[in-house]
Amino acid sequence: MKAKISVSGGKGGTGKSTVAVNLALVIAAERDTVLADLDAEAPNDYILLDVQLSEEKPVEIMVPRIKYGDCIKCSACAKVCDTGALIIGRDGYPFLLPRLCSGCRACYYVCPTDAIEEAKRIIGYTYVNRVESWNSPITLVTGVLREGEEHTPPVVIAARERAEKIARDVLLVDTAAGTGSHVAAAISGSNLLIGVTEPTPLGSHDLELILSLGEQMGIETWVVINRSNIGPEKYVERVLKNHKAKVVARIPYSHELISTYIERKPIVAAIPNSPVTGIIKDLGKRILEVI
Amino acid sequence: MVASGKGGVGKSTVSSTLGLYLHRKGYNIIMIDADADAPNLHLIFNVESWEGEEELLDSWVASIDYARCTDCGVCAKACAYKAISLVDGKYVIDPIVCEGCLTCALACPERAIRRHKTRMGYIRWGRTRYGFPLYSSELSVGRPNSGKLVTEIKNRAKEKSDKNHIFVTDSAAGIGCQVISSFAGGDAAILVAEPTPSSFSDLKRVHTVAKQFMLPAGLVINKYDLNEDYAQIIEDYALKEGMDILGRIPYDESVPKSMSMLQPVTVAFPSSPASKALLEIASRIEERVVRNYQEWRRKHKPRKITPYYPLMVKD
Repeated sequence: MKAKISVSGGKGGTGKSTVAVNLALVIAAERDTVLADLDAEAPNDYILLDVQLSEEKPVEIMVPRIKYGDCIKCSACAKVCDTGALIIGRDGYPFLLPRLCSGCRACYYVCPTDAIEEAKRIIGYTYVNRVESWNSPITLVTGVLREGEEHTPPVVIAARERAEKIARDVLLVDTAAGTGSHVAAAISGSNLLIGVTEPTPLGSHDLELILSLGEQMGIETWVVINRSNIGPEKYVERVLKNHKAKVVARIPYSHELISTYIERKPIVAAIPNSPVTGIIKDLGKRILEVI
Repeated sequence: MVASGKGGVGKSTVSSTLGLYLHRKGYNIIMIDADADAPNLHLIFNVESWEGEEELLDSWVASIDYARCTDCGVCAKACAYKAISLVDGKYVIDPIVCEGCLTCALACPERAIRRHKTRMGYIRWGRTRYGFPLYSSELSVGRPNSGKLVTEIKNRAKEKSDKNHIFVTDSAAGIGCQVISSFAGGDAAILVAEPTPSSFSDLKRVHTVAKQFMLPAGLVINKYDLNEDYAQIIEDYALKEGMDILGRIPYDESVPKSMSMLQPVTVAFPSSPASKALLEIASRIEERVVRNYQEWRRKHKPRKITPYYPLMVKD
């Protein structure tokens, strides 16, 4: 892997996936490209590319199995458990609430009598698709959290590692909304972060959060303003000034973009002469120049 | 609880309208912003100053004491989050990826790793300019487990409420710990979708989680006129699942405009098509969910019990 670029934005629904998918197809015309959809709670890139997920691999995390014969009721495991997954019952023995367990293994290491064994549970899956139906072929890696599971980062990390292993040249990452650890895990190791936002107070509020995450992680951030004509840019401008970030593209609200989104056709492939296609191609060019 | 799976489909628009509508009808409501990753309701309701703010220091990060470290690499192997990597011959903990679970410190044969407390985030509460209280949470960027923050904020709100209060909770996007924490102990799930394949896919995922909590659910379709055929497909799914179809909102530029004005759309443009649809939906929720809850629950609770179960790997 020679370059890793992440697309994020803080707020949901600003167009992260649309930008990531189309950008991947544009960059793939020049360079070998892997797109990793690391929004494991709500993965959508495979839908936008109109493919069925393939090559499933389970994501397993450790889950403690208590050997009650060896347990001396010291409660050390419950005390060390940060997520509250190990509870001490009335009889003094620990028992596990599996949904809360993050698989960190702290209980396994802390137990003085080795009464905890490592068992495994599946919390999600990763997938690999070779996508050849659009103008330039790409490889899509997707992480999917199993419904009802709470701990997203291990699925994000497993999908990221699978993508990093496959990527020979350019890796483009699409992240979840928000700025928590599941987003940090996705963008970790990126050379460039693209923050997609919209010109509203809510968009700029959340953009500010993602810009501070980029700063803390030491990653240069470029900003794309989506639906650029729906509101004044003044809110975004203030945030950009505070964080010394620059706008690299403005994508206007476009019916073409919406109809291709609903039809599951990436706009750069479906409507080559659309203004939006031109904007994304220019952005792709700028990215290729710096990497 | 208002949820959607996918981000940006209109959760906050629906929940803010519902909160304001019920407040104006004389109900005692408490608004909860459970999107700790990207809280926004305080902007929509224009909360200029908070009445209370609490810093939650319940988060940890580990760091290495290099005087003791022998570069053995045991910590990097033990870390479930891959937060430790070899940089220029030294093992380094990435404080943003580290979840502070203590595993590396326990695994380290030299006892060279310590962990220290760090800020998980803030919980805040105040009164909106419309008179009802808003509880909000904000996760420090890059911190894990915002579910804990959501549980904290709910507990704080509960302390100051009585049986007559109605909680209106705006959930985060996704289906992870924040959403699960906002579903826990709830009475009704209002799910919002737009007529796109992505939103439909995410809706089904969040609905699966709602069903695990045996929550009766209602559906709101936002921007239904982007594609009416697809809106119908989603409503067909909802009917089959026994969800209550609460209404459709048209695409309307007054919604983003009102956001720029930092006002709920029903305040800024009360006679716009979106406001009319939103108010109709809010009144339906009042009539069906608030006033006739038992009957509504009977009609729209999940048809089958499908609890969460862990998927164990057999050895």
